[in-house]
Amino acid sequence: MKKDQGPGGQTEIIFTGFGGQGIVLAGKILGEAVALGDHKESTLVQSYGPEARGGACSAQVIISERTIHYPYVRQADILVCMSQGGFEKYIDVLTPEGILILDSDLVQPRGLDRVHFDIPATRLAEELGRKMMANIIMLGFFTAVTEAVSFEAASEAVAASVPKGTETMNLKAFSKGWDYGRALLKGRQKKAEGRTGA
Amino acid sequence: MNGKPQIESRATPVPGPARSIILFLCSWGPHAAFQRLQDECAPIPEAVKMVRIPCTGRITKALLFKPFEMGADGVALIGCHEGTCRYGSGTKAARANVRDTCEILDLLGLGATRLRLGLFLPDDSAGLLQFLRQFSDDIQSLDKSPVAPYPLPAVQGDPTPALNQVLREYDVYACQDCGKCSSACPLTLAGKTFSPRSTANALIAGQWDDEGVRRDIWSCLTCGLCSDRCPSAVNFPGFVREVRRILLAHGLGGHEAHGGFFQSLSRTMTSPDLRIHHWSWLPDDIQTDPQSKVLFFGGCAPYFDIFFRTHLGVTTRDILVDSLRLLNFFDIHPALLDAERCCGHDLYWSGDQENFLKLARLNVEAIRASGVEEVIVCCPEGYRTFSHDYPANGVETPFKVTLLMDFLEREIDKGAVGFKRLNRSLTFQDPCRLSRFEKKSALPRKLLGRLDSAGFGEMQERGGGAICCGNTAWTGCDAFSKALQVHRLRQARATGADLLVTACPKCQIHLRCAMQDPFIGESLEMETVDLTTLLARTIQWE
Ligand code: SF4
Ligand code: SF4
Ligand code: SF4
Repeated sequence: MKKDQGPGGQTEIIFTGFGGQGIVLAGKILGEAVALGDHKESTLVQSYGPEARGGACSAQVIISERTIHYPYVRQADILVCMSQGGFEKYIDVLTPEGILILDSDLVQPRGLDRVHFDIPATRLAEELGRKMMANIIMLGFFTAVTEAVSFEAASEAVAASVPKGTETMNLKAFSKGWDYGRALLKGRQKKAEGRTGA
Repeated sequence: MNGKPQIESRATPVPGPARSIILFLCSWGPHAAFQRLQDECAPIPEAVKMVRIPCTGRITKALLFKPFEMGADGVALIGCHEGTCRYGSGTKAARANVRDTCEILDLLGLGATRLRLGLFLPDDSAGLLQFLRQFSDDIQSLDKSPVAPYPLPAVQGDPTPALNQVLREYDVYACQDCGKCSSACPLTLAGKTFSPRSTANALIAGQWDDEGVRRDIWSCLTCGLCSDRCPSAVNFPGFVREVRRILLAHGLGGHEAHGGFFQSLSRTMTSPDLRIHHWSWLPDDIQTDPQSKVLFFGGCAPYFDIFFRTHLGVTTRDILVDSLRLLNFFDIHPALLDAERCCGHDLYWSGDQENFLKLARLNVEAIRASGVEEVIVCCPEGYRTFSHDYPANGVETPFKVTLLMDFLEREIDKGAVGFKRLNRSLTFQDPCRLSRFEKKSALPRKLLGRLDSAGFGEMQERGGGAICCGNTAWTGCDAFSKALQVHRLRQARATGADLLVTACPKCQIHLRCAMQDPFIGESLEMETVDLTTLLARTIQWE
């Protein structure tokens, strides 16, 4: 599912959700992973709604092979939504061929007729016993389905960015999302080949 | 006699070792024909050793097979035509038994041609002679059977010192005589005059030769419920197994179910030269790869299905196919050992240590030679045997051993896999080797919880405390085993479930056996299915 880079060899990404979900941290980890691990350019712009906790928030990340002159996303190539509000607000910014990723328990893409990727990230985080790690699960999923960043770079950045002592848990969450993403891609491929069950 | 070697008198001499043919001859019609041949000094092939029997229908699969275990090259069963015999349905039973045993010989690589049924009336001695000569020629044209008879128990004298040593090793002296074991033992609870506590105490008192004690040693199901409750942690199943080993070595065995058929079968597989065709029946759509680093070990289910075909109609072979389908679903195209042998579980638990070790070494050697790194086992007994009993008995396994359920749980947990709606409510029979021996009772429940079923109800006894299916290692089956199975099935039905999920082929076989009871069977009837099959039939990509 390698995403072709947008105009100018750059990929523009928006993460949206509520404050407190770790949306900005996800953006930050992604940017760092791309810059430090994959040796590309990246920028991060964050924006919060009226209240940091519970309000709408988003992180805009740009990844490029070349220098980035303008850090705001104009046309998103990838949109990750972890809240209904974020989805409504940004869906029109996504290019027609862009990749849409949703937390399936939090976002209903009503009336939307386009291929997208779903993961119940928040529920999976609850199952792991750490609801706060939904963002890391999402990042793992993002890494698997978009291939905008390498697995190694992203997991290293996760380990380096999370609070000391929580690395193992966070890496577990990251793998959870990654595994889910890989399994989903595999499932889609099998379905396309007309094979669904065992 | 002129002292010439007998082999030279044969019509078609064959170089190499002489063949041997066992002839089971019905003493009703065909024996008269045979006697006439003897009276006439007719040239009956010398390879033929005749055994008179009352009726072909009385010759079980175990008896038909036994000569092969002892190294015979061919077996012929000779009876009368249907309807001519006072035993009624003998010929029909003989046909079915010969057909099934032939199929088993085929799987085993010995070949169905080595067993033949003949029907002759008293006046047909010419026909009988022709049959015998033809059969003998056919057997002579085959290779000598690669099965080497296993050495008969050789130990003479008093087993007491050996038994005392086992008592010490298993610290049975630590028994506090509290009786918790007996009050937990499902056989005792089923009403049998049997108690692990008194068995242990009788052996401490040196009463191994007591008939009751010996019977009890072979009755125990080695299910482990007693040890679970024992405050002194006496490992009673392990102790019983060791006592069996010693008694067997002194020629004091012979309490196996089904005439010892499955023990015979396992013993034949200890012959290194046997060319087994364990997977010859596999459907074409199953994908395997001899180069794979993962090997799938299936176990004896194909033999069970043939053996129980006439009276149970079991299809435990499906468990193997469904396991492979599930592996294929997750893109694993495993290697298979074409000449897969029995893991040895039943020999081990019925005290035949020597042959168990032979099987263990042959299996490990074959797996090592195939170059795989991981072996996936779908049967709890096989898993236990590979992962625990081989190393514990000094047979190191230089590969990872994985239980299929663990593999499935890991893969399904990666997500994006769902299950088709299943409008059945379920209950689960815990296999003792999985829940108690391996402490993995949560695992099947996790998998069951993933299914989209109409509900799941636990039986009164469950998990580590569940009562077993009433038989282990094909020993100890009797009316009390049956009572226990009846009790278990009633528990299953009391949950209100309409589908009984099992996870060991033998659980399914044994519980279905109780459902065959002509008097109460109908009230116990419950559809059973293996968890693997249930998963394979409902799993789908999201
Ligand atoms: S192992 Fe099972 S059958 Fe044997 S004595 Fe213990 S509880 Fe009874
Ligand atoms: S439970 Fe243990 S200590 Fe108690 S009688 Fe049985 S073997 Fe002895
Ligand atoms: S319970 Fe039935 S199938 Fe099982 S060993 Fe006994 S007779 Fe055979």
